[in-house]
Amino acid sequence: MIPAHLQPARARSPRPGERAAEAGPALSAGVGLRAPHHAEILARRPSVGWFEAHSENYFGAGGAHRAQLARIRDHYPLSLHGVGLSLGSTDPLDTNHLREVKRLVWELEPVLVSEHLSWSSVGGRYLNDLLPLPYTEEALRHTAARIGDVQDALGRQILIENISSYLRFECNEVPEWEFLSALVRESGCAILLDINNLYVNSMNHGFDAYSYLYGISTAAVQEFHLAGHTLTRCGGRDIRIDTHDSQVADEVWDLYRAALQRFGPRPTLIEWDVDIPALSVLQAEAAKADAMMEPLRVVAA
Amino acid sequence: MLSLPELQARIAATLFGDVTASPATWIRADGIAPELRLAIYRNNLEEGFAKTLALEFPVMQRLVGEDYFRQLALSFLTGHPSRSGDLHHVGAPFAGFLREQFAGTAYRYFADVAALEWALQECLVAGDDEALDPKALQTVPPRAYPRLRFALRSAARLLDSSFPIVSIWEANEPRAAAPEIIDLAGGPEFALAHRLSGGARITRLSAGEFALLSTLARAEPLEAALDASLARDPDFDLGVALHRSFELGVFAHVSVSPGCS
Repeated sequence: MIPAHLQPARARSPRPGERAAEAGPALSAGVGLRAPHHAEILARRPSVGWFEAHSENYFGAGGAHRAQLARIRDHYPLSLHGVGLSLGSTDPLDTNHLREVKRLVWELEPVLVSEHLSWSSVGGRYLNDLLPLPYTEEALRHTAARIGDVQDALGRQILIENISSYLRFECNEVPEWEFLSALVRESGCAILLDINNLYVNSMNHGFDAYSYLYGISTAAVQEFHLAGHTLTRCGGRDIRIDTHDSQVADEVWDLYRAALQRFGPRPTLIEWDVDIPALSVLQAEAAKADAMMEPLRVVAA
Repeated sequence: MLSLPELQARIAATLFGDVTASPATWIRADGIAPELRLAIYRNNLEEGFAKTLALEFPVMQRLVGEDYFRQLALSFLTGHPSRSGDLHHVGAPFAGFLREQFAGTAYRYFADVAALEWALQECLVAGDDEALDPKALQTVPPRAYPRLRFALRSAARLLDSSFPIVSIWEANEPRAAAPEIIDLAGGPEFALAHRLSGGARITRLSAGEFALLSTLARAEPLEAALDASLARDPDFDLGVALHRSFELGVFAHVSVSPGCS
């Protein structure tokens, strides 16, 4: 039930996204929307299943990027992906930030809305990065309540993404997959499973990625992310950094294939944020994901 | 065990570099020292901040060079950390920081250049109110002209400087050719930052135009604005200036204030 204040004031003609929302998992793979591609997308209307926009890139009263996003939305299903709400922070929730997200959700009617399992601010100072939470009962209660507040404000369910992390806390009481599953139970959110982040963490922290996949319920996962990462050295050891600056690694494609076996086809997104390549490169990565999903769709049908 | 607020406060304090008590005890080593793990996040913080600032102030970066700009950005970060989950806001206090940093030096003009660049950033995301059609004046009887009040568009910012900021900006904006030599004593200069058909730009204004528009921007009537312009420039031509202002899409709205003329 959508609260009255979020309901459209007038009837609108159905948009592609509304139809796609009904189709759900049948969406073909999407691409992270980045400003350098706006004009080409509008001029050429390339074959891409859907786009995912970083909400914060379209905050503000107006401007060219925002207008382009609205036009892109007229032709493609859209997902809004937040990077700055800082759900895990014990700072008060930033109501101005939430209001901006709400306005975008209202105007663009996205298929999916997501944020991260992370924190970023203390005392009003922001790191503007995705920091890991300790997986404790206290953090669970806090984060579940915050997700509940955001879902109430937006009048819809949000997806929570697992992040790449470069440290873990001594006080962790449960593995991340148990924490995420508990969040789903407590708040009613869904999971955006980032396969690259899962792979990066499993290598950095030495756990079995497949146990993670089988540790969360199939119904909870409603979107996959795929991206490139970088292998580097830190303190004489290998460490993988989530850089979004390259093609998806072979090992991540393998894990994606296993995730598809476990969860079935789900809206899958290719992310690339640094040294952004031609759109055709991203389309080729998306086509690879589609080719992996295709046999499973046939079985599902 | 630390509470969640304490743990976050200690990590943030360590990353912002303002505390000696490290949270390392609460972080698993797992083969890499906790301090090195925290250093990854400190690097993310500094790189993300410096890179965003460089994108917002390309002319300042070109003026001082990439290495020094990065130093300036990190020094700015210490006193002016991001106050929003939307990183785009970090540049708002940069001009003020430069004003303090370079007060009393030959580089005082940096602050004005940065203010101009920030005005441009604000125009990029300002509201989409439409430019006023000059036909709106056709229904106004000429005797009411002195009482006209013009509201400026959201995407219009006026700036003046005792330095030649527009010349400096034009010579150093990303699309400019090799920077020319600019006489710093060549000011004052006046600028309009605004948005036309999607793109934000800087337009040079005359002293008279600046006086006219900045008076109108304070919601004063055209008569007062004209007085201010003539005080700056006895040869000021109001008709030409209004025509150009309409062409530049400066106005959003016009009204006639009550009163006799």
